[in-house]
Amino acid sequence: MASDDEINILVIVLDVNPIWWGQQAQREPQFTLSTCLDSLMVLANAHLVMSRTNKLAVIANLYQKSHFLYPSKQWKSGDEISTSSDGKYELLSVTNDLFAEEIRNLMDRTEVSGSHTDSLLAVSIAKALCSGQDVKSRILVIKAAEDSTLQYMNFMNVIFAAQKKNILIDACVLDADSGLLQQACDITGGLYLKIPQKIALAQYLLWVFLPDAEQRSQLLLPPPVHVDYRAACFCHRNLIEIGYVCSVCLSIFCNFSPICTTCETAFKMPLPQMAKTKKKKVKTAN
Amino acid sequence: MKLRVQLQCKNLHEYLKELSPEILDSLYNHPATCLAVYRELPSLAKNYVMRMLFLDHPLPQAAVALWVKKDNHDQCVSVLTGLRLWHSQHLQGGLQGFVLNPVFKDNLRVALLGGGKPWADEGSNLGPDRHARDVESLDRYAMERWEVILHFMVGSPSAAVSQDLAQLLIQAGLMKSEAGEAPCITSAGFQFLLLDTASQLWYFTLQYLKTAQSRGMDLVEILSFLFQLSFSTLGRDYSVEGMSESLLTFLQHLREFGLVFQRKRKSRRYYPTRLAITLAAGVTVNAASGSASTALGATPGTGDTGFIVVETNYRVYAYTNSELQIALVALFSEMLYRFPNVVVAQVTRESVQQAIANGITAQQVRDARGRCNTQPVTPILPPTIKDQIMLWELEKDRLQFTEGVLYNQFLSQADFEVLRDRAQGLGVLVWQNPAHRVMVVTPHGHSEVKRFWKRQKSHT
Repeated sequence: MASDDEINILVIVLDVNPIWWGQQAQREPQFTLSTCLDSLMVLANAHLVMSRTNKLAVIANLYQKSHFLYPSKQWKSGDEISTSSDGKYELLSVTNDLFAEEIRNLMDRTEVSGSHTDSLLAVSIAKALCSGQDVKSRILVIKAAEDSTLQYMNFMNVIFAAQKKNILIDACVLDADSGLLQQACDITGGLYLKIPQKIALAQYLLWVFLPDAEQRSQLLLPPPVHVDYRAACFCHRNLIEIGYVCSVCLSIFCNFSPICTTCETAFKMPLPQMAKTKKKKVKTAN
Repeated sequence: MKLRVQLQCKNLHEYLKELSPEILDSLYNHPATCLAVYRELPSLAKNYVMRMLFLDHPLPQAAVALWVKKDNHDQCVSVLTGLRLWHSQHLQGGLQGFVLNPVFKDNLRVALLGGGKPWADEGSNLGPDRHARDVESLDRYAMERWEVILHFMVGSPSAAVSQDLAQLLIQAGLMKSEAGEAPCITSAGFQFLLLDTASQLWYFTLQYLKTAQSRGMDLVEILSFLFQLSFSTLGRDYSVEGMSESLLTFLQHLREFGLVFQRKRKSRRYYPTRLAITLAAGVTVNAASGSASTALGATPGTGDTGFIVVETNYRVYAYTNSELQIALVALFSEMLYRFPNVVVAQVTRESVQQAIANGITAQQVRDARGRCNTQPVTPILPPTIKDQIMLWELEKDRLQFTEGVLYNQFLSQADFEVLRDRAQGLGVLVWQNPAHRVMVVTPHGHSEVKRFWKRQKSHT
């Protein structure tokens, strides 16, 4: 009955910032990175089972880099493929094993340095977009750590590229609200959800993020949130409400500067207006 | 006039709905079946099932109705109830609720997440296969075997199939066999040939399943195995360890259909072919598999691409080498010449009427020609030919024959009228002509009328 011959790719961008997850494990011991990964695997399996032509990709998002967890470059198809020994559909168990293996390797290799709690989201989404090709696909971003406004420019570019390619960006936010992701979801037409109870992550994922674009039009899903559309100025990356805009390249500044840093146009200084002496018709008492 | 049987290709759901509830429940005991059934659901229903998969309590029906914006809700509810995937249950508070069939729920969870028994005993101790086959040779093998069956149906002398298979074809109504003679194709068989490979496979399997119980095979076991096969990975070998006797017999039959490859009868490993994997994709053509070609179209294994040109002077040129396609064309036209890559035939009144006499409709003949073209451009059949075939078919309907007994040479009008009224009263009068005093009576009313007449004559 479901005769979808189109390939449907779900790309999951997962935030694996070790510092945030470490703090999280101390705050709430029952929801750690492993439980989050389990929930994600449930969603991934459900997506693959939905239709024969569904495919999956997972990208891990760290401070220094972003890395494809599945499909991974190191895996060659001639290798020893584990068979399913516990009743799971074979394709799923192969996928899950590879995924688990990769993330273990990644965690082993990563060095934790400094106390950065933000992650390179724009880079990951850019990688996700490149793998999208010409098929229907959507990106699900699992956000744990906070936003980094340093990435504002890149992020907006990436969002508009996604909009051009008709790729939805969904966001599942675990901790703090993220203005950037809200904008992304609003522009591309995806869903933004802040999870009230992290333990129930799997259920939220299945209920809200599993249906694809066509099915979403028939289901009632959480309504869009109020989006914070403040731009970030190009000089300090602060979010501002009122600022100066270059008339040539439309870059935004919080303070006036005589030359635009992006397009190097020179602006005329607004001189203080000299009070023009009005030639009064003085009837002199001459 | 022969009855024209419409070939009904049911899909998986309709077949399952026909099974009894006990069989259905025991079928759902295997994760592969649950997966197959799940895949065939409409997408909204799939979402419903996923949402309820991890809930243990029933959900109120009103809540479920709130999930959907538009009115596909009722259709989903009826599909899910028909397959016994969920049923209503009374909640506290008097409301009606839905709860997923527990057997189905558990097994779908197992298929999704693991934690259950392995589907088949693992043959990982077999080691790598020395005679491993790759995907292409598997494809070739599958198409070869399937074509042999089709050839056999068309009546090519080179095709030989086992007794079992011939029996199955006859039981399925695709062929009929006169006493002692070789089986020949029926109208249903011709329709079958015109379907695409996936539908053909499915129809065939359904027929096989229907006769399975009469052979003493366990329907549940066979179906579970079939679904398990359809979820296997192409190109991997699987072991036959732990399969029961009836399953092994089933495996041999599958080997003959081309769904499975086994090097020897006693081999301990088998490879599913592409046909098996597309089987559970149902009746719809699965473009991703790439092998859903019609019997008359391109066959990837044998490499025959053919197309047919029909001219307005009733000539047919078939550019093909495949025996099957040539045989099909020969069914409704007369062969004129045969060259290495072309076959020239003429569509004549006799040939079309003979095809129609065998139960093939004019529409099918047109479709056959239409399907033969593998070019992306939609084939155009000249309107003259289209109309002419239809006219030839209608010719058969111009006359209708009824058997009867003729009464004539009445001596007087009064006699005639008496007898006629009697026959009319009995309801056996077929036709009468008062001017010539002639009437026709049905055969089985004839004895009655004769008796009446004799009594009449003896009176006067």
